[in-house]
Amino acid sequence: MIKTSKVTKSVNTSEGKLEILHPISFEVKSGESVAIIGASGSGKSTLLGLLAGLDEVSEGEIYLDGEPLHTMDEEARAVLRGQKVGFIFQSFMLVQSLTAIENVMLPAEIAGLDNPKQMASKILEQVGIGHRASHYPNQLSGGEQQRVAIARAFITSPKILFADEPTGNLDATNSHKVEDLLFALNREKGTTLVLVTHDNELADKCDRQLTMQAGVLTESTPVSPLQRSEAV
Amino acid sequence: MSMTSTLAWRLFRHEAKRGELTIILLAIVLSVGAVLSLSLFSERLQGALKERSAAFIAADAQLRSDTPIDEIWLQQARDEGLNTAKQVTTRSMVFHRDEMSLVDLRAVNENYPLKGTVNITDVPFGQKEAATDLPMPGEVWLQSLLFQTLKLSLGDSIEIGDAEFIVTKVLVDIPDAGFSVFNTDPIALIRLSDLDATAITGPGSRARYVGYFEGESSAISNFYDWLSPNLQDDLHNWRTVEDDESAIGRSVASAERYFLLASLLAIVLAAVSIAVAAQRYSQRHFDPVAIMKTLGATKQVIRRIYLLQILFITGLGIIIGLIMGFIGQQVVVWLVAEQVDVALSIWHWRPVLIAVFTGATCSLLFSLYPLMQLFSIPPLRVLRRDLSTNLRSRTIQYVASGGAIFLLMWIYSQDLMISLILFGSGVVLVAGLLGATFLLIAAGRKFGSGKMGPWQLAWARIKRRSMENSVQLISFSVTIMLLLVVLVMRNDMVSQWRSQLPEGTPNYFLINITGDQKTELDTHFKSNGITIEEFYPVIRGRFVAVNDDSVNTEVSKEDDSNIEGRQGLGREANLTWSNSLQKENEITSGIWHGDNTDTLEQGVFAVSVETDVGERLGIELGDMLTFNVGSEIVKTKVTSFRNVNWQTMQPNFFFVIQPEAMAAFNPTYITSFYLPEVQKSELTTLLKPFASITMFDVDARINQLRDIVNQVSVAIEFILVLVLVAGSLVLIAQVQASMDERRQELAILRTLGAKGSLIRKSVVFEFLIIGVVAGFMAALANELSLYMLQTKVFQMTASLHFEYWLIAPIVGAIVVGALGAVGCWRLLTLNTSALLRKMV
Repeated sequence: MIKTSKVTKSVNTSEGKLEILHPISFEVKSGESVAIIGASGSGKSTLLGLLAGLDEVSEGEIYLDGEPLHTMDEEARAVLRGQKVGFIFQSFMLVQSLTAIENVMLPAEIAGLDNPKQMASKILEQVGIGHRASHYPNQLSGGEQQRVAIARAFITSPKILFADEPTGNLDATNSHKVEDLLFALNREKGTTLVLVTHDNELADKCDRQLTMQAGVLTESTPVSPLQRSEAV
Repeated sequence: MSMTSTLAWRLFRHEAKRGELTIILLAIVLSVGAVLSLSLFSERLQGALKERSAAFIAADAQLRSDTPIDEIWLQQARDEGLNTAKQVTTRSMVFHRDEMSLVDLRAVNENYPLKGTVNITDVPFGQKEAATDLPMPGEVWLQSLLFQTLKLSLGDSIEIGDAEFIVTKVLVDIPDAGFSVFNTDPIALIRLSDLDATAITGPGSRARYVGYFEGESSAISNFYDWLSPNLQDDLHNWRTVEDDESAIGRSVASAERYFLLASLLAIVLAAVSIAVAAQRYSQRHFDPVAIMKTLGATKQVIRRIYLLQILFITGLGIIIGLIMGFIGQQVVVWLVAEQVDVALSIWHWRPVLIAVFTGATCSLLFSLYPLMQLFSIPPLRVLRRDLSTNLRSRTIQYVASGGAIFLLMWIYSQDLMISLILFGSGVVLVAGLLGATFLLIAAGRKFGSGKMGPWQLAWARIKRRSMENSVQLISFSVTIMLLLVVLVMRNDMVSQWRSQLPEGTPNYFLINITGDQKTELDTHFKSNGITIEEFYPVIRGRFVAVNDDSVNTEVSKEDDSNIEGRQGLGREANLTWSNSLQKENEITSGIWHGDNTDTLEQGVFAVSVETDVGERLGIELGDMLTFNVGSEIVKTKVTSFRNVNWQTMQPNFFFVIQPEAMAAFNPTYITSFYLPEVQKSELTTLLKPFASITMFDVDARINQLRDIVNQVSVAIEFILVLVLVAGSLVLIAQVQASMDERRQELAILRTLGAKGSLIRKSVVFEFLIIGVVAGFMAALANELSLYMLQTKVFQMTASLHFEYWLIAPIVGAIVVGALGAVGCWRLLTLNTSALLRKMV
């Protein structure tokens, strides 16, 4: 589903060129869930941005569902995102002036799908906040907002879902609820999941883990919760 | 509905409901409302003033001719939908028993006057009332003075030429009586149909034929376009209310320019507020755009959504603005109804079109740059919140905003000069402000360090938010400057008008005073408690040649008794002589002969010529002018030109000659005096001992002038208030917009435990500093704009206004500081978590 080959990202600063990502090559299979873990500033979000087509690579190639992202301009990438990609963010990124249901409808409307309202209503029920459909984001709790974001991410049944610290802004109880929901929907829809997290527990729920360290990506073996508790 | 319009509508609906569009909507409502109310009000006021001016020429347009006016021309005017009337005017002797007098005979047809009223009374010098009719055939109405000189009473008959008329009314005045101190023969009004019977307008008579036209301006100009090829310069003189050169005409014209200026400034204020609001609107939508782009919306989709949104906002703003503007000016009209005449027609299309055009242009052009910023927001912002627009060059913003303002000014004023002056001052102001901001930031660097007190915090913020502050400073200064321009201009203009007609301005003129009567008259008046002004000697002379060229034809063209203040240069010019320069006269070139020690050749005397008449007749310094006085020839040499203030109610002269030239002649004298309203009834007694002296009453005229000046002043006051309200709203919008930007910082400071009082003080101090600088810069820019406006547009004397150099910074600091405090107080009433949530 995702194939990267020698992807780099560098930016020009006043002190010269700064390499944020060193050549990165890996593949993610369809239906797989992958966690990218690493310390703050290691380049996780930069990689996520590149994989999702939100940013352009400096060098290298990225194929998303067979489509060469690295050759596309922003417009083509936007169309591709609309058709195949879903997003969940740490800060929820809901449009404040739209209600919960309208936020959920948004990607369906942009993609030109029929009956976006019915679809949104159904999926909001599914994530358990159908009764809050007409509320604005600032009238919802953090957990509720993230559920709306999840509903929005799944409404178009995307092939790939990118999640950036999806539980980073939530307390433990809400984190668990959101994680469960995310994985349940992921399994149900057969979506490929790429998530960036600090949270080892969340990373452990994924099929694979990639560790980012100072712009270098390495594959790491998933550690089971049991093993971690023994280690402690 | 397509997806984009559905989305745009939905966003618009929600944002409107949640009050997020209030500021931008308010800005558009304000721009449309202010422009509509100002221009609608000024249109109505101008309509009323024009009506008044029209009354002075008894029509909307007049054609004066030395030959009878062709009936075909009048028919053409009627075909254009105009009303017409006719008058024949000539000087003639009237006789009653053994008495006779020269009169200004006016023979009018039944439609006269098309504008204004003929005023009559039943007793000489009695209270006037408007006549509902005209003299019947065979009747004549005569002015009061004739009842004295001809010793007649109502019902008596008089002879004019070959015909006999019964005197049925005392004529007080007719609309186009004209205003002149000289050659003021009393008026006799008869029917045009009776004129032939008098047989006084045969060949060689000096009859003047007047055609009057009344109707829509467009019909008048159509008619004039048709007529003008038939007109001959030396025979015809076309005049409309617009080219009223009188004092009233000038006051009205400068008032009109003031309204224009106020409206232009309102447009600029509106533009500034829209620019501020649009910037804020755009910034608030950075996230939604990034989200939509992330979710697959292409640039085109985003563009459509936001352009549609702006269209919805603009549409709504325009509709509300039109309603508010209309209500606003109705309220003003209602408030000033006592003091000001406004035209009855309450709807004019031009102001509406201008208001809609202003709202649309401002909101679209001023949103352009912020929208372009919005379109260029990268989707990556969803991950990296620090990313904002990719748009770096501000050229397009400057070009779009500057161009929009200039375009609006130009279209609205149709006056390149006034637009250039305002725009140029604006550009200078902005450049000056950028420099000031730079200095302020440098100062901030110095003062912003050290222990964190409110002052330090304020300076530190000024330093850190240098870009935002410079924008804010500029918009505050522009707003304050515009308010100052409107305020100071109004004060200067009204005081200048009022000074033309101070209390005690002479309201009666006495002419034909002989040298022997001077002292007697003076003593007689003094004993009655009335002070006589200066006596001016006058002698009539024919102006016959410039150097060796005879000027008869040129001179006859100037014989226009209806051009106020220009009387005196006719077939017979009124010559005076003096070695001292009259009040309100100013030498423009040459040397005043009273101060000149050079002696001229034998038999040639120095003459000072009024500048305008000199230009019209092509007279130059050093030219020899020849006058024919009685049977004598007086040779003069032009040694100076003078500017004369025609708006003063004093005798003014085209030619002032060296006294020696007139030593041989026996002049009459002219003087003026002020008689208070309460003593008016004493007039007849006062003048009884001096039967040969002619009195000329300008009291009504002065009152009319004063009335108009007062009305216009009141109207201007209200316009000033309107502009002040508009300006205050702009300031509020600016402070509110900047509060949004400060929210995050306040939240952090609060979270870190900063006391409310520290935050409040620091914000107030910051606004105080910005207010002081903005006020001072505005005062400086105000001087520049005023200098340009007063000298180039209003033809006034420019002056410096040092008091505002102090007042503006103080008021700026107080107002901006207070608005800052109020805005800040609102933010501080929210608890910290609410503030933090608002940051998300």
